[in-house]
Amino acid sequence: MTDLPLIPVRMLNEHVYCPRLAYLMWVQGEFQHNEFTVDGAIKHRRVDRPGGKLPEQPSQAADDETRIHARSVTLSSDELGLIAKMDLVEGEGAVVAPVDYKRGKRPHKAASGVYEPEQIQVCAQGLLLEEHGYSCPEGVVYFVASRERVRVPLDEELRTRTRNAMTELRRNAASGCIPAPLEDSPKCPRCSLAGICLPDEVRFLSRTPVQPRPIFAARDAAKPLYVQTQRAYVRKDGEVLVVEQEKEQVAKARLAEVSQVALFGSAALTTPALHECLRREIPVTWLSYGGWFIGHTVTVGRRNVETRTHQYRASFDDGRCLDLARRLVAGKIVNSRTLLRRNWRGTDDDASAPRELLTALREDMRHAGRAPSLAVLLGVEGAAANRYFQNFQNMLREASDDLGFDFSTRNRRPPKDPVNALLSFAYAMLTREWTMALSSVGLDPYRGFYHQPRFGRPALALDMMEPFRPLVADSVVLTVINNGEIRPEDFISAAGGCNLKDAGRKKFIQAFERRLQQEITHPIFKYRINYRQLFEVQSRLLVRWLGDEIPTYPVFMTR
Amino acid sequence: MERLYIVCYDVRDQRRWRKLYKAMHGYGEWLQLSVFQCRLDAVRKLRLEDAVSRIVKQDEDHVLIMDLGPAESVQVKVKSIGGSFEPVRNDAVVV
Ligand code: SF4
Repeated sequence: MTDLPLIPVRMLNEHVYCPRLAYLMWVQGEFQHNEFTVDGAIKHRRVDRPGGKLPEQPSQAADDETRIHARSVTLSSDELGLIAKMDLVEGEGAVVAPVDYKRGKRPHKAASGVYEPEQIQVCAQGLLLEEHGYSCPEGVVYFVASRERVRVPLDEELRTRTRNAMTELRRNAASGCIPAPLEDSPKCPRCSLAGICLPDEVRFLSRTPVQPRPIFAARDAAKPLYVQTQRAYVRKDGEVLVVEQEKEQVAKARLAEVSQVALFGSAALTTPALHECLRREIPVTWLSYGGWFIGHTVTVGRRNVETRTHQYRASFDDGRCLDLARRLVAGKIVNSRTLLRRNWRGTDDDASAPRELLTALREDMRHAGRAPSLAVLLGVEGAAANRYFQNFQNMLREASDDLGFDFSTRNRRPPKDPVNALLSFAYAMLTREWTMALSSVGLDPYRGFYHQPRFGRPALALDMMEPFRPLVADSVVLTVINNGEIRPEDFISAAGGCNLKDAGRKKFIQAFERRLQQEITHPIFKYRINYRQLFEVQSRLLVRWLGDEIPTYPVFMTR
Repeated sequence: MERLYIVCYDVRDQRRWRKLYKAMHGYGEWLQLSVFQCRLDAVRKLRLEDAVSRIVKQDEDHVLIMDLGPAESVQVKVKSIGGSFEPVRNDAVVV
């Protein structure tokens, strides 16, 4: 036998449904629920209570008619290389049938009353039972919703198909090569892993002429809980996270609706609340008052080792590093240019952004796209950033008005004026958001391609957020200033630096959230999607590029 | 797609009532004595139904889950006397 682990019979079912799905789940350890899998799990739990026993050895007496009715039976065989947990085994004496429970109704489209994956699954269960000495002329699929039993004769032909499926699955797993997505299949919108697999996007980017269906964007996302008030205390009360301040409840969030918890400064979280977050895979991030990342508490981490292996391998390949870095920087320059063009506040007779500026930025973009080395690229990026920030003031409401926001140059560590303080905070928020997105898809946020790894710097997050600095961070800064949402009195100056006060920080986080929830039309895929979902899609596309499934990483650029 | 629901229940036994009341806080906002307002996607709706059916006794209690429509677009017309009513939201919480 090979040294591959035993195939869980359930995986055989997935493999027959879609080979890529089995690979994602079994080899890469990916999983995600959707309404169909949750419904299945609930229905299964009801039949999953162990009950009755399957005798170790079938009775030898030919006339033994002892009834067998055993629930939740686990059997394995090294000989077959299979393992299964069967919902029910029933029969008499030495003749038994595996019964598999399925949510839903009996499919009327399938000629035999049972789809292929389920046929293969019960057949594999039958093979296991026979391996243990029983005789299995047929299996049964029970449809919970329509309460129908459908018999599946385990004939030679089905047994052959089952064995072939096992060989194929083993071969796929050993190849280390993920199977291609199904072609425009009706299975995909129902597949719980569609958001990870990105079937249409991957095919589209591999030059297959399909228009991606908005499978991903159809999902509802849970929302973050940000706690930045001083001395706030988060505890768990049943199914709810309660935020208290001086023993008074100031907010609450239902755990089922929380996607992440971000704690600023001295905000505290009780151990039971933390355990519950870990149990539900809700990441918790710890930040300084200024929004800088201190740490990140997650469960043992994503199991998808292949993804990280691909990432590290590519990160040592200078050619790939340069290719990705050029695209990301060029994307940032294009997006900065677009922001300037759209938000320019000129005078009446000269309302639009100067042509020379836009041309110069377009040239910068070209240079970035062709930079012969990372060092040259860094220079081009610096020049473009200078050009951009020298003109940043032109996107703000006039400096002479009551707001008194003034911006001349970009400065940081510490930022010296309110606009720089907002920009720094916005970039910190964006870094955090990208770090979360990347680690949630199984990438290592600390190993980058453009930014070099330095202590504690999430280099990959910094790489990936480049094109989004103007679109998300700068754009929120412009909004809060130009709408007068944040005013000079929201800042405090001390020790040569300028910082947001609590109330101002809260308003800024709310504005930032609004931006992440904002829907845009994806320029390549043409469907509507919000920025937060987009970060996940882009992270997953990076995974696909690193795994050589798509020829280039598509940088997000607005027109 | 999230939808808006009103969940109301008649539960005979005090202990089961408390248990259900506590569990319901994980799914929506408490409105009145045995009435909650919930905004749920398909997965949370399934989980709610499952939680409810595990707590109540089907031959003694009665739970109604009323679907008001898609949360983003439905216009709930409510006349509220002696108190206030706000449709439940699912936004990021910032404190
Ligand atoms: S989305 Fe489609 S191609 Fe991808 S794993 Fe699921 S069924 Fe297979």
